Amino acid sequence: MEEPFDRRAVRRHRDRAAATLGGHDFLLRAAVERLAERVAESGRRFPSVLVLGAAGGLLRDAVQPHADAVVEADLSFGMLRGPGVVASEELLPFAPGAFDLIVSALVLHWVNDLPGALVQARRSLRPDGMFLASMLGGETLRELRAALLSGESESRGGASPRVSPFVDVRDAGALLQRTGFARPVADVETIDVTYADPLRLMAELRGMGETNALRDRPRAFTPRSTLMAAAAAYRAHSGDAGGRIRATFQLVTLTGWAAAPRTPPEAPTEERPPAARLPRRLRPA
Amino acid sequence: MPAGIDPRLLEILVCPLTKEPLRYDAGAQELISDAARLAYPIRDGIPIMLVDEARNLDEPTAKAKR
Repeated sequence: MEEPFDRRAVRRHRDRAAATLGGHDFLLRAAVERLAERVAESGRRFPSVLVLGAAGGLLRDAVQPHADAVVEADLSFGMLRGPGVVASEELLPFAPGAFDLIVSALVLHWVNDLPGALVQARRSLRPDGMFLASMLGGETLRELRAALLSGESESRGGASPRVSPFVDVRDAGALLQRTGFARPVADVETIDVTYADPLRLMAELRGMGETNALRDRPRAFTPRSTLMAAAAAYRAHSGDAGGRIRATFQLVTLTGWAAAPRTPPEAPTEERPPAARLPRRLRPA
Repeated sequence: MPAGIDPRLLEILVCPLTKEPLRYDAGAQELISDAARLAYPIRDGIPIMLVDEARNLDEPTAKAKR
């Protein structure tokens, strides 16, 4: 099977971002906030928690008040802040039933085999354990995707894959159910951000460790003519009145439960419509 | 950060490939998967549970696989 992502590139990007994350963590903070809300809403105390995608310690700090013991796992050594392991979300190194809660922030959209990763996460949970994950959804960076496509076809007469195919919120909810989670909920929220120019957006993505890790990405240095054409296209299609450019990020928050013994995971998927949460307009400094 | 591995971690870690229990080699600071014939290194108390970084037990003189 052709794997869409180059996991070594994902790891390199996270290693590099570990040092810069603090200045580029608005999205991570939003994701962690949503996850923390759901942990609090559960009203539970969790003896053993896995933080999947260490997020520079943000997620550990957020769940610690509801947990006795927290273990971090990340593909990048540099992202870990407390007790933890370097591990791949695609091959989890945890015993069955090791955790009462697994929380994951902004790493599962870089996984090649998402169903496989979800099944492994579920098996690492005790019966009735909670799974919470935030990942980027299909609308993420749609302006950038369009601008690169248009810039590249103008300057080179072709296009190459540069922005990830992110998960659709409906698929994500169905996937939870298919991988054996009970009472699955997929929640979506759109966050609109503005930047001074497309290069600032690219710098932010690099700082977050979210740059292109597609296996089929162009390996050669992108010609300046392509970048200039893409930047012009971005400004033309997604510029605002104040001369800034818009970028869309879509946060998909997944909630599911490891089935209690002899409870078949057959609850219908509940999907809150996208309008359930108001879009937020953020403007990073 | 202490050099030793957190004992709580030892209890819950398994081989990522086979999901079988691991043997802790405190001297070599490795977690050994006999089933997968791999040894996962522990660096600064952090187990590196990546197949890419594991030492192949059947190539004892070779450096960690890249």
